[in-house]
Amino acid sequence: MSAPRVLVIIPAHDEEESLPRTLAEVRAAAPDVDLLVVDDGSRDGTPRVARASGVEVVRHPVNLGVGGALQTGFRWACEHGYDIGVQLDADGQHDPLYLAALLAPVLEGRCNVSIGSRYVARTGYRAPLNRRLGMLLFSGIVRMALGQRITDTTSGFRAYDRPVMEVCRVEFPRDFPDAPLLISLARRGFRLLEVPVEMRERIAGRSFYTLGKQLYYPYKNLLASLMAFIQRSN
Amino acid sequence: MQFLSRTQVVVAIGAVLLALYVLDLVRRRRLSEEYSFAWVAATVTIAVLGFSTPILVGLTRLLGVVMEVSTVFAFGIAFSLAMLLYLSVRLSRLGTEKDAMVRELALLRYEFEAERRAMAERNGA
Repeated sequence: MSAPRVLVIIPAHDEEESLPRTLAEVRAAAPDVDLLVVDDGSRDGTPRVARASGVEVVRHPVNLGVGGALQTGFRWACEHGYDIGVQLDADGQHDPLYLAALLAPVLEGRCNVSIGSRYVARTGYRAPLNRRLGMLLFSGIVRMALGQRITDTTSGFRAYDRPVMEVCRVEFPRDFPDAPLLISLARRGFRLLEVPVEMRERIAGRSFYTLGKQLYYPYKNLLASLMAFIQRSN
Repeated sequence: MQFLSRTQVVVAIGAVLLALYVLDLVRRRRLSEEYSFAWVAATVTIAVLGFSTPILVGLTRLLGVVMEVSTVFAFGIAFSLAMLLYLSVRLSRLGTEKDAMVRELALLRYEFEAERRAMAERNGA
């Protein structure tokens, strides 16, 4: 059997400053994996710098949000025959040095989705209070729904195997693919596993989480978690 | 014809004018027949209630409403809420459809550009 093909999917919206460094770091850390940048309707030079780095680029004509960009990535990955897809932020938060650790349990078949978690082991990361409260809340919800402890539900550093990508290419939350996604995947019988990672400060650009979204986020994720829990898994 | 209040007359005439405007929008192709249906049905209902005092009084008694004019407004508000909910549902569906189109377009453009690059290389070689 040939070695599994791995695609790192990087959703990018106005990330021209941080993207080249992120791409170079992934290349250096994992020379065997392929890279796909999903440019989510950027107005800056994101697609240009991505192409200049020599990676594959799929461009959304308008902004769909991080979930929408990831879904495009999963579809591309499935259509191009990849076995594993890794979700990685363009802003440099996720250290590609942890790629191997993230991929290992999926490659070994120990889980379908591995989640790079800031909290499984003691790491240097300390989130602001509102985020800590939110994480506590959604971690509790996931535990209630699944009976499994997922400490870092908001981590955007994850690896998905092919069967999971086949589901996600069809159905994926358009914004905040966090706790509700994990619940819905686990309800379909996929196994989730957390892997300890350290995260860094973003290199440049703005965070996705503005004030309006901070108010909307808990509402949306509570409701979507509930829906993911009561919807029949089929 | 006997009217209970001046409000009733104003509302009834207003409903007729709105119905005519809706039909005119359809004529000018600014509003689709599908969406005009709910508007015409609602405005005709309000106009009937406004112009026919016996129906209005009977319905008001039946519903236990104190003032006849409240019955007319209740129908108007009920329609507005139903229409807003219907539009929210349609908007959600349009959003999902838009996302699917954007995704399809992005992937097609990728294939197209990849094909074009390959062709240029073949021609150049």
